[in-house]
Amino acid sequence: MARRAYSILCASFGVLLCILGTFFFAQFFRFHAPGGLGLPLLPMGPNGHYFVAFTGSALVAWGGALIGAARHPEHSRTLGTATAVALVMSGFYRMLAWVVGDYVVLGNLLRGEAAFCLLLALAFVWLRPGRPAPGEARA
Amino acid sequence: MIGRMLATLGIVALLALDLALPSTDLGRRGTSAARNDVPAAAPKLGGKMPDFSLVDLDGREIQLSDLLGHRVLLTFERSVDW
Repeated sequence: MARRAYSILCASFGVLLCILGTFFFAQFFRFHAPGGLGLPLLPMGPNGHYFVAFTGSALVAWGGALIGAARHPEHSRTLGTATAVALVMSGFYRMLAWVVGDYVVLGNLLRGEAAFCLLLALAFVWLRPGRPAPGEARA
Repeated sequence: MIGRMLATLGIVALLALDLALPSTDLGRRGTSAARNDVPAAAPKLGGKMPDFSLVDLDGREIQLSDLLGHRVLLTFERSVDW
């Protein structure tokens, strides 16, 4: 039961990350398209798009790894831990962003996103597979 | 198991902080407490602007009273475009 829930969690969050990563990656090309393709969807300049493209690449890799983990959840405990850590970091900086005046227009959306990230981290902590027994064969 | 429990404690503590943020002093933006920080001498909405001077991009000092009779628009922007 927990194995299946962890698989579903990895697969759905992995797909979400891949979609988000592809979107971020594509914004770099949209921004620099010859002739322009209208206003950029992300309110930032060339430097911001440069880093967003890198973020998008990393998100695709992260999402792909999670989709792989969905197939073999028993061998992906470390990825579950790393994902939980990344989600806690995501939640924490969103909480700090709520305090900073630059993001005041986003209001309580930031706190909602932080809560979502932290709850997701909890799910990864509790659903990830246990440590393999000593001497247990690994695929 | 201990690792799981410790991680859970940490995450739940952060969740509690997230829920409590609006009631802390950190969430003063736009609240009545923040508005009360405005000094008494600050210009009132619709009132006469007190005279002041600022330095423009060419380093010249501009006095507001020098612009009497002209429409004046003041904007405050960040100069870094990311």
